[in-house]
Amino acid sequence: MSDTAAPLLELEGVRAAYGTIEVLHGVDLAVAPGEVVALLGPNGGGKTTTIKVICGLLRPTAGKVLLAGRDVTGARAEQLARAGLITIPEGKGVFPNLTVRENLQMATYSGRPLHEIEAMTYERFPRLGERRRQLVGTMSGGEQQMLAMARGLASDPAVLLLDELSMGLAPLVVEELYGIVGQIARSGVSILVVEQFARTVLGFADRAAIMLGGRVRRVGAPSEIEAELSAVYLGG
Amino acid sequence: MEDNAERVEAFQQEIQSMKLKAGGAEGESRLLVLGILMGVAGLVLAVVGGIQVAADANQYNQRAAMATGTFLGIALLIGGAALFVRYSLARYLRFWLVRLVHESRANTDRIVEAIERQGGGQG
Repeated sequence: MSDTAAPLLELEGVRAAYGTIEVLHGVDLAVAPGEVVALLGPNGGGKTTTIKVICGLLRPTAGKVLLAGRDVTGARAEQLARAGLITIPEGKGVFPNLTVRENLQMATYSGRPLHEIEAMTYERFPRLGERRRQLVGTMSGGEQQMLAMARGLASDPAVLLLDELSMGLAPLVVEELYGIVGQIARSGVSILVVEQFARTVLGFADRAAIMLGGRVRRVGAPSEIEAELSAVYLGG
Repeated sequence: MEDNAERVEAFQQEIQSMKLKAGGAEGESRLLVLGILMGVAGLVLAVVGGIQVAADANQYNQRAAMATGTFLGIALLIGGAALFVRYSLARYLRFWLVRLVHESRANTDRIVEAIERQGGGQG
């Protein structure tokens, strides 16, 4: 990642609302090619809404979303996903009534054949290989999150949006998952990762931003941001 | 990173070639408000036109009042109502869909829980 590279993903003064309630009040953020940016902050700060706006699930009421310099505000989520903007949503977003294999089949929309997706997935997540015929709803939370990641990665992302990967998972599982995210980051994929629990993410992020009350309050190096985190979470 | 430079380039090309509908930021809430305003303006115009028609015995003036007041008012009222129904209904249907998805997930959780209680779960 280079400091001078033009951002692959950029938000300019983005405002968004649910009905009449505005939750984003002018968000500015940029992610360069190959950069990992951690978006941190307490619950209700607007982090997930920011992700929804970027991936096209929520249309902003004002401002712009730019991808590779092009204004894609209002583009449909499936268009963006096809181009390579992949979201792994909060709450996993897997199909609990389908098996692991059937869930992976959902990723074949990208044109990649199922056997290739399966081979790639089971190499990265051997545990999913053991459970390929199992209904996803009967698997543990960590395994479901692995599947969500595997399905996202099967689409060969250029930009990866990760929303609260650690939600409801044991610390060991979180560590394992973030180990994989670290590998993906090293392969040069641009990643915007949203987290409430910041320490693990700061370990591999290039930059971090603190989001509070629907605005990005501070952007800086992980070491600088880490020092301010307790004040943010405790309101000090 | 070498591999990814190619991927980034492909991504940039895909984004540039993407066909996007014009529109940008959301216009839905604005159109809903426009519908309400059109409806109110239409109602006022129709009433004013009606009063003018009733107050003037001259047929030519009555027609003019109907054309500029009553008919225009009714057209605005219909247009405004259509916009209001379209955009309030869309929002309602979206909430309804979210509710269906939520209920379906809750049902699945209940089934999984029941299976696990009976010792059938492997999670």
